[in-house]
Amino acid sequence: MSPVSDPRPARAGGRRRRTAVSLVLSTALAASACTVANSDSVTADGDALRVVLPEEPPTLEPCEASLTSTGVVVRSNITEPLTERHPGTGELEPKLATSWKRTSGTEWTYRIRKGVTFSDGSRFDAEDAAYSIDRAVNSELGCNVEGYVFGDTDLKVAAPDAHTLTVATPKADPILPLRLSFIEMVPTSTDAEKKVREPVGTGPYRIANWEPGLRLTLATNKRYWGRAPAYGSVDYQWRTEGSVRAAMIANDEVDVATSLSPEDGAGDAAEQYPNNETTALRMQVTEPPLDDRRVRQAINYAIDREGIVGSLFQGKAKAAAQLVPRGVVGYNESLQPWPTDLAKARRLLAEAEADGVDVDRSIRLISRTALFPKVDETVQVIQNQLNDLGLDIDIEMKDTAGSTEFQERPFPEDAGPYLMLIQHGNQAGDAAFSMDQYLLSKGYQSSGGTAAFDRKIGAAEAKTGAERQDALAEVFADEPDEIAQYAYVAHMYGVIALAPDVRYRPNSATGDEMRLAEFTPAD
Amino acid sequence: MFHFVRRRMLSSVLPLVAVLLGVFVLARLTGDPASLYLPESATPAQRAAFTERNGFDDSIWQQIADYFGGVFQLDFGESLRTGESAATMALRAFPATLQLAGATMLIAAAGAVVIGSWAAFRPNSLADRIASFLSMTAASVPDFWFAITGVWIFAVGLGALPTSGVSDGMLSWVLPVATLAIRPLGVLTQVVRGAMVSALSAPYVRLARSKGAGSVRVVSHHALRNAAAPALTVAGDLTVSLVNGAVVVETIFGWPGIGKLMIDSITGRDFAVLQAAVLLTAVTIFVLNIVIDVCYALLDARVRETATV
Repeated sequence: MSPVSDPRPARAGGRRRRTAVSLVLSTALAASACTVANSDSVTADGDALRVVLPEEPPTLEPCEASLTSTGVVVRSNITEPLTERHPGTGELEPKLATSWKRTSGTEWTYRIRKGVTFSDGSRFDAEDAAYSIDRAVNSELGCNVEGYVFGDTDLKVAAPDAHTLTVATPKADPILPLRLSFIEMVPTSTDAEKKVREPVGTGPYRIANWEPGLRLTLATNKRYWGRAPAYGSVDYQWRTEGSVRAAMIANDEVDVATSLSPEDGAGDAAEQYPNNETTALRMQVTEPPLDDRRVRQAINYAIDREGIVGSLFQGKAKAAAQLVPRGVVGYNESLQPWPTDLAKARRLLAEAEADGVDVDRSIRLISRTALFPKVDETVQVIQNQLNDLGLDIDIEMKDTAGSTEFQERPFPEDAGPYLMLIQHGNQAGDAAFSMDQYLLSKGYQSSGGTAAFDRKIGAAEAKTGAERQDALAEVFADEPDEIAQYAYVAHMYGVIALAPDVRYRPNSATGDEMRLAEFTPAD
Repeated sequence: MFHFVRRRMLSSVLPLVAVLLGVFVLARLTGDPASLYLPESATPAQRAAFTERNGFDDSIWQQIADYFGGVFQLDFGESLRTGESAATMALRAFPATLQLAGATMLIAAAGAVVIGSWAAFRPNSLADRIASFLSMTAASVPDFWFAITGVWIFAVGLGALPTSGVSDGMLSWVLPVATLAIRPLGVLTQVVRGAMVSALSAPYVRLARSKGAGSVRVVSHHALRNAAAPALTVAGDLTVSLVNGAVVVETIFGWPGIGKLMIDSITGRDFAVLQAAVLLTAVTIFVLNIVIDVCYALLDARVRETATV
């Protein structure tokens, strides 16, 4: 008998209810402890290369391959281009085309490789190549590669026979083959009206399984025309935090971790490499007080690039004097970064103020969160240095969409004067790609310029060979005096971590195009 | 009770609509998705086509009407990022979050009842003070720091657990659940302790003791039942916040849940997915609140009687 009487009559029922609830909860917990909803708990097989990326590709649509998160998986792995640029030498190498030549002032002719089939078994020929180019460049799909590589230019493509492709431009384009190397080949059966999420390609791998949110598995393409890759499959996962990606290497959960920063803790597994990215401060040259060149020069003199490289990037970067790094056609070897000279900067600012320029006006310093490791600190250091100069700088960190609004034309009206900390990666290997976007007065990411400077860029881009190199280099040399739209900060380094039993030599293209066939097991 | 539940459901409709409207309008104030999804070379015609195709050129009232019209037909739109059905994406992600929240709250509640009761049984003793100190510390630990530290100690240092992911069965749950549970455990322990201290000094407990009831029986049958109501209220709030998206934990541990999906949708200006995810979590939270109210009524006769009037 209970010492205290219970007022409720249904006591036994209450106990049964509690027991039942406990049972259900225990079962739920036990079930939960085994499998996460929507995960098949697939693990990579022993022959798999396990890769962790910072983010899941939103799509594997080949015409979006110039998006880093898509391109790093798709390019030269699932699909392939006609030619590939060697990241070290910059030379174009045959891929799905065996040769190419200029057959008239505006036309190039490609010989298409024979014996190539797509992973679905269909044969690859010139019709597919023509269709792929037309779909990516001339269609209404709004492909990213169109804007990144071709701008407003439409191409005329034709396939006179199964192994010949002709591509013509409205006006002579000496680097058309380089531009075309950005287009991945797809079969004519690919949807022309809508972007595809899981493409068919000719690459060494095909999509085997994609569990959205969890993992992506590639299997070897048994019909691949080239040498079979060393790994039978590739298992991609994604983790946002760099330190977690580094920990996955340390814990032997993955073989490759990309997009790390030096302080993520990858230790001896980390390998650093110049990644072709350059950080720079773009100034809105149309907005007072930034419309005064002396103010822009003062900003250049006030920034301590060596200090930023040494203290924030731990020396794993190089102070920059131009928009592209060494190895890109047009890079000017003789240019030196602006020296840090606060006294001179203040004199220039005082001169501008004496001439009526409103240097007290508040200036926004805008950048994108997670643009590169230590971006927050970089922005704060620059703010501090420019405040020391005497400017009134306010930081605004935005997400990708928010920063794009300020980074690309058409720029928002009534935004006032602002500085935009950008990072530009020239993966094409030719400065023309950078100049068209960043230096032309109406470039998509340029705040302004002059007609004379535009002509100088145009003339340089029309040249070929050594003349082209010299002319493009001269454009970079003249920019600070004629325009001074940018305060270049640093040529950046990337960090990748590899498991001890994996061999791979990272290169300047690794961040955008990680060719899986170049990974091999250690001896 | 049926009337009580029906009344609560009806009173939830208006806040639900308000939430959806708020998300709908605020999402569109964050910027034009065209700048994110179209190449920079996109012509005005291409931008206009994109805007028209996705209905962004309609007036906000028309867009709202179209959205709610779609909801009533279970059409939640397509993702701009992936092209998938927004409902499919939300429904795929949500169970993983529910599992995580459920496991977390079970552990936190069980731990809080044991520790809080133990501490309350001898107020101001050394054990009570240690429990109070630890529970306050737990309630204050930043989950981001706890998660990363846990990864480096238990996964990398000791090699006992996976760093992240969901493919290691039971072991995959340990760090995410521990990270999520530590704060609710701390908060609930303090609530249970406080409620139990009051309950244990109540006349009915003294009466039970005077009739010879043992300590365990006094705690489990008399004090705990009366202390459960405030704990349930706080536990309900904590559960709601977990269901609403354990964003940090899902992001760090690669957990394929709704919180991560919502963050990705916001940064990607993927309005349809964001709206579907918010609708799903909002409905669940309203249901949870009703369940909590029902539990409250079951625990407290006064509430039950009010509810049935």
